[in-house]
Amino acid sequence: MITPEQAVLAAILICLGGAVLVLPLSRNKNSAGWFAFFVTVASAILILLAVGEVLTSGPSPHAATFWAMPEIGFALCIHVDGLTSMFLLLAAVIAVPTSFYSIVYMRHYPDYGVARYYPHFLAFLAAMYGLLSTTDMMWFFFIFWQMMTLPGYALIRFENRKPENIRAANKFLIMMQIACAATMIGAELLAVTGAAARGGASLKYDFDTVSGNLPLLLATRPGTTALAFALFLVGFGIKMGMWPFGQFWLPDAHPAAPSPVSAMLSGVMIKTGVYGLMRYFLWLVPVEAQSDYPMARWGLIVAVLGTVTLFTGTMQALKQEQTKRLLAFHSIGQIGYILLGTGACMVLLSSTRPDAAALATIAFFGALFHVLNHGLFKGLLFLNAGSLLHATGTQDLNKMGGLMKFMPLTAITALIASFSISGVPLFNGYVSKWSICVAALLGSGSARYLAVCAVIAILTSALTLASFIKFFGTSFLSRTSALVTERAARNGRLEVGWIMQIPQVFLASLCVLLGLVPAIAFRLMQHALDASRQGFGAALSKSAPMVSGPLTGLEGFDAAARFAPLALAALLGLLFLVAYGISRIGGAPRRAAVPWLCGYVPEQDCHRYVAHNFYGEIKRYFRWLGGMPHPQPGKQKVLKGN
Amino acid sequence: MSHGVISALLGGVLNVGLVLLLAPLCQGVLRKVTARVQSRQGPPIWQPYFDLLKLLGKEDIESGESPGMQRFAACLSLATVLSIPCLVPMGFAAPMNDVADVYLLIYLLALCGVCTLLAGLAAGSTYSLVGISREMMSIIVLEPLFAIALLVGALHTRSFRLDTVLNGSVYATDGFPWSGLIMLGVILLSFQAFVQRVPFDISEAETELMEGPLMEYSGPKLALLKYAQMAKLVIYSALFVGLFVPWGSGEPFPWNCLVFAMKVFALVLLVTLVAATHARYRIDQAIRYFAFLLSIAFVALVLASYGH
Repeated sequence: MITPEQAVLAAILICLGGAVLVLPLSRNKNSAGWFAFFVTVASAILILLAVGEVLTSGPSPHAATFWAMPEIGFALCIHVDGLTSMFLLLAAVIAVPTSFYSIVYMRHYPDYGVARYYPHFLAFLAAMYGLLSTTDMMWFFFIFWQMMTLPGYALIRFENRKPENIRAANKFLIMMQIACAATMIGAELLAVTGAAARGGASLKYDFDTVSGNLPLLLATRPGTTALAFALFLVGFGIKMGMWPFGQFWLPDAHPAAPSPVSAMLSGVMIKTGVYGLMRYFLWLVPVEAQSDYPMARWGLIVAVLGTVTLFTGTMQALKQEQTKRLLAFHSIGQIGYILLGTGACMVLLSSTRPDAAALATIAFFGALFHVLNHGLFKGLLFLNAGSLLHATGTQDLNKMGGLMKFMPLTAITALIASFSISGVPLFNGYVSKWSICVAALLGSGSARYLAVCAVIAILTSALTLASFIKFFGTSFLSRTSALVTERAARNGRLEVGWIMQIPQVFLASLCVLLGLVPAIAFRLMQHALDASRQGFGAALSKSAPMVSGPLTGLEGFDAAARFAPLALAALLGLLFLVAYGISRIGGAPRRAAVPWLCGYVPEQDCHRYVAHNFYGEIKRYFRWLGGMPHPQPGKQKVLKGN
Repeated sequence: MSHGVISALLGGVLNVGLVLLLAPLCQGVLRKVTARVQSRQGPPIWQPYFDLLKLLGKEDIESGESPGMQRFAACLSLATVLSIPCLVPMGFAAPMNDVADVYLLIYLLALCGVCTLLAGLAAGSTYSLVGISREMMSIIVLEPLFAIALLVGALHTRSFRLDTVLNGSVYATDGFPWSGLIMLGVILLSFQAFVQRVPFDISEAETELMEGPLMEYSGPKLALLKYAQMAKLVIYSALFVGLFVPWGSGEPFPWNCLVFAMKVFALVLLVTLVAATHARYRIDQAIRYFAFLLSIAFVALVLASYGH
């Protein structure tokens, strides 16, 4: 039987091999696409095998070393524990639909070949598998990080005849190199001071060595370790798009890349930053060192940064009029929720109150579940945006309208994704936001500011909802725009083909499934914690605060907070039928008509209320927060009034 | 367990029926009193019932490009509004206490408005969209207000349970309940906006936007949307009573219901009087006003987290 570590290494090698082999096939977009898809599926199967093995029968006791040069601390060590397996699961689940989607999507670039797409896509995926499972904080961290950054750079500048894409890719490259440097300097600080204090260990950059040295370091060199942890926060913060770093690169990079890559960037790549944060701040530090580790202070910083991130990201997203740029800003906003959950977890773990341990686990579950959920719904939303781009040839929401009639399936999946990201009950985003807010609010006995953070998070949910009302309403509902009419007349059909539909339906059904039966995810996460024997991961697994059952839903914290989605779904369904019954009771006849425009003139394109016109007052009051969209070329219709 | 399920179902049906029966009556009272305050005769108190019945039989004109979405949103709008009485104590205990907590209530309240917005978007008239933009802006500022009121209660009782929080929990402190009283003032000052009445009915603004999101609706769908709006008045009043005026709810059966009905009725009268004597605000004025209330609510939240 293959061990989880071997399976992950095999998945990495398959992807890398595929990246080389796909090159000669790249003259034919179709065959290259199918080949890359099968390579992705093969790697995903191996990853799922590894994850299943770890979650059911526990991780291997030690990291597997495949290749080592101990004199310079160079070793390819791979270890799959609970935390790694959750992130690997996310990577595999998002990579398969996006690579399937690419097969047809990449055909709509007539001037660009796929020789610069599929090899980079596969190398990018391999690097993510590697980064999530290596235990080497220096050499292989650097190798995998660069393997992720350089293909990512190439994928972002895929349409390299547009100067703005080159600029976006350059920004991405520079920010990622700064992040890489910050993280490596941090690791070097820990390793060197650790080696000086303890004498040279064989693999000084390995998680186990560093973790073993940390109690001594925290006690004797608090300044150096604090500096190292600050550098980790900056490095991973840049990667995940934390305020203020995220605004530099993320909103430019996501829209520039081809849509399936945007889905991977936002769904998986920025989560490697979250993984790093959780791994270094929670798993790396042994529980014995708790007295010297200023976890409450780090938690405060992370939670406050998270709150600032979620508010600024979402408020800036509210101002956007380009589909993918809007979604990119929402990635920053949603990362804020994850940071808030992680920060609250750290604060509560260091608290001495009796109820804090259970709440810390709830906060951690919320953050980790939001990682999964964000991957699912944001991946889906970027695929939706890709379908819109495929159908209309534009990312400009002002030029879209009435697309639900032409693209019903894309519309329904986009509605599901919009509801999920806004945290509407019965969809997956609700449960994770609920966990984070419950933990933050009830945990405010340990740290007062958490209550304010929780309320800002709730307020931001309303902002997210507003933003997606605009996104969904102006693209799929509203009135058909001139552009859509012209496109539909030319192409006959706007809805994307089945190859592009299946990934959207797959991700949408996962959103609904996890929304209706969140117990699945909570069981998985509990298993993941049980399979984590390092650091505070083990401490978190001791309290099992959520009682979950597939039918009864979730119940946490002595029944102080509960949610039974299936019962609620049944109730809403019943009431929906009642409402429908009431509406049909009179047997009223139906008739189609055009909207009334006060009877002066027939409706024209210039009468449409477009995305630009939405939320004028809020945009004006928060102009100082930045992120105003650049004026688009072409005529800008401004409807006076609001 | 099965006994609990049955009583939950019975209570839910009872509450939903109560809201469906009472909502048009409250609207009738509101219209009559408004007319009297403005020196008019006014329609009979039963008029809203007849209006709804008549609308149910009238022609249903669908002017949107995705009529399926219009039907879905109109039905969902009433369904969401009616799901709230199942969670809120209305004279009796909250029936579906075991299904969800206060956090769900916050979302359902926001969702009630959003369904109407979806309906308006599906119809797609420019006037509707102007109204929708305004309505969504008010939801952004208003939702946190009621959320803070509920969460202040949750902080005091350290529980998200519906029956615990919706039982005057905002005053449940050892000392003087500063946060509860501040939130009482804040919610009273913004109550007109929650139930979408003058001076905060900016998104509908009959005289300028011709009912905003509802503009293109007629017949049974208009009946559903109107019914949902009427029900909102009763539901928000019930929530307000549960959160801020719990006294007398512990009395034995018929008294607790009577007391509850009196309290709701008093709130409806208050709403009516304010609505009849005020002029509508502009959206920017309203948002500034709500933002001011929101900053006060944050002060109350901080006080509550310190146990005051």
